[in-house]
Amino acid sequence: MENNKESKTILELKNVTKRFAGLVAVKDLSLKMKERTIHSLIGPNGAGKSTVINMITGLLPLTDGEIYHRDTKISGMKAYQIAQTRCSRTFQNLKLYRSMTVKENIMTGMMMDMHQGFLPFMFDFKKARQEDKAMNEKADLILKFIGLQELSNEYPANMPYGKQKLTELARSLMLEPSLLFLDEPAAGLNPSERVEFVDIIMKVFESGIDIFLIEHNMDVIMNISDDITVINFGSKIAEGTPEQIQEDPLVIEAYLGDRYKKEHGKGGRKCLK
Amino acid sequence: MKKQNKTLIIALICIGIAAILPLFISNNYHLNLMIQVLINIIIVLGLNFITGLTGQMNLGTAGIFSMGAYTSALVATKSGVNPWICLILAAVMGIIIGVGLGYPSLRVSGVYLALTTIGFSEIVRVLMTNLTDLTGGALGVNNIPVFSIFGHEFRENKEIYYLYLVIALLLIFNAYRIVNSKWGRSFLAIKDNPEAINASGVNIAKLRIMAFTLTAVYSTIAGSLYAHYVGFMNPSAYNIEFSINYVVMLVIGGIGSVAGNIAGAILVTIVPELLRFIENYYWLVFSIITLLFVIFLPNGMLSLFNKKKSMKK
Repeated sequence: MENNKESKTILELKNVTKRFAGLVAVKDLSLKMKERTIHSLIGPNGAGKSTVINMITGLLPLTDGEIYHRDTKISGMKAYQIAQTRCSRTFQNLKLYRSMTVKENIMTGMMMDMHQGFLPFMFDFKKARQEDKAMNEKADLILKFIGLQELSNEYPANMPYGKQKLTELARSLMLEPSLLFLDEPAAGLNPSERVEFVDIIMKVFESGIDIFLIEHNMDVIMNISDDITVINFGSKIAEGTPEQIQEDPLVIEAYLGDRYKKEHGKGGRKCLK
Repeated sequence: MKKQNKTLIIALICIGIAAILPLFISNNYHLNLMIQVLINIIIVLGLNFITGLTGQMNLGTAGIFSMGAYTSALVATKSGVNPWICLILAAVMGIIIGVGLGYPSLRVSGVYLALTTIGFSEIVRVLMTNLTDLTGGALGVNNIPVFSIFGHEFRENKEIYYLYLVIALLLIFNAYRIVNSKWGRSFLAIKDNPEAINASGVNIAKLRIMAFTLTAVYSTIAGSLYAHYVGFMNPSAYNIEFSINYVVMLVIGGIGSVAGNIAGAILVTIVPELLRFIENYYWLVFSIITLLFVIFLPNGMLSLFNKKKSMKK
């Protein structure tokens, strides 16, 4: 897909810094993500990528700087309030509800769209049933979209890792996000699971959801990203299209290495298959 | 057969047994025990919201229960208010306690929350003992009136049993609805993974307070029912041992499940009584039984009937 340079900024980080006691995890990071793009954040282990997503989604407070989502300042808001601006996410280490089935896991993703309060729920049986039915139907749709309908009554612990990752992705889709953060979605997947997952990410993107991605797998990153920001030791060292990033000497030195350039051609979105 | 139909049939059979059982029992001691079972079921169902579903350890049951019992008893004896209104006031007291105890739960968890709730319970016990002008101190409150409907007073154990059975069934139905709804799933999600439910746009602080409030309302209602049943309240019994007893019921029956809560309450109320023939050793034997349950059936005795669910952990 052609990168639209004129499109609107949907996520903006302005001079964001995060310090853990004496350690500066993220330093003065600024970036802009455009609407209808897949924007990737890459860097070596410990570069601060997950810290950035955790700050954007409100799980970590910022030490300094500001974050905007569609002109709304979200830095300083609580995690659940940020999610309510239709920012959804998955986690680097799976965070599924182990005592719930796949479908129940997915249904919790829609809680904020259930408008019936507790007291009306206690007394208005009809409306409670209607809301429950709507939630069930939506969960079934998402299960079908992701391809998990066969496993809807299974418990996560009894499923392969790839399916667990898909369950988490499905839960994040229940929120009907406009912006989805994926934290290393392909980590731990075997090659066929990875291809399946990338196909689903593309399907999600094509359904109208913008994606902010952290990933170590360069095949995935270079093939599906529109824009890439590279960080090292918490600071931005490069940004641009996949082609520009692959040619950037700083990125090659800090992260990709010379071998990557020799072994891979130019990027651009294409199917991994 | 559909899961819902199966649940309904089992529930109807259990209600039928509970309804006809007193017809074959004339011994007052056994009827006493059955009434105590109903009261304990209500307390355990309440405890399930906070400890079973959201995973917050509440060891303040004694304090909450006695607050409900004393609220009802004092209003009824000192102001002559109808016991049914006293029951509602006890429930309101539950809301106040739930919100009051819910807020600390946002700051502390685990052992610290357990200590906070024990502290609350001890404060209540000390106040009940020392505010002699209000509570009667160690001598307690006497002559608490019984419940009545259209002038008919519920004095006979059999009548009280049926009245409390109806109230317990309403509260069981209510608990079942909550546990199997978006609220129950959200409570469970807090226990399993608070960060994930937070990232789904849910305010977990509000939910924790709500779970504490439900727990407290169930306990204070149980306290009120108890006070109007025994007709006498004194603070001596409401210590940490009282609170732990209900956690044992929750664990033995099955954390998180309404049927498990009921089974746990029945078992832990009746078994110690059945073991009374071994006199001083009965607590020892009962403790060993509890220990065996925790080791071999950590998901409670209901996990025996739900193999798939027990596999997950």
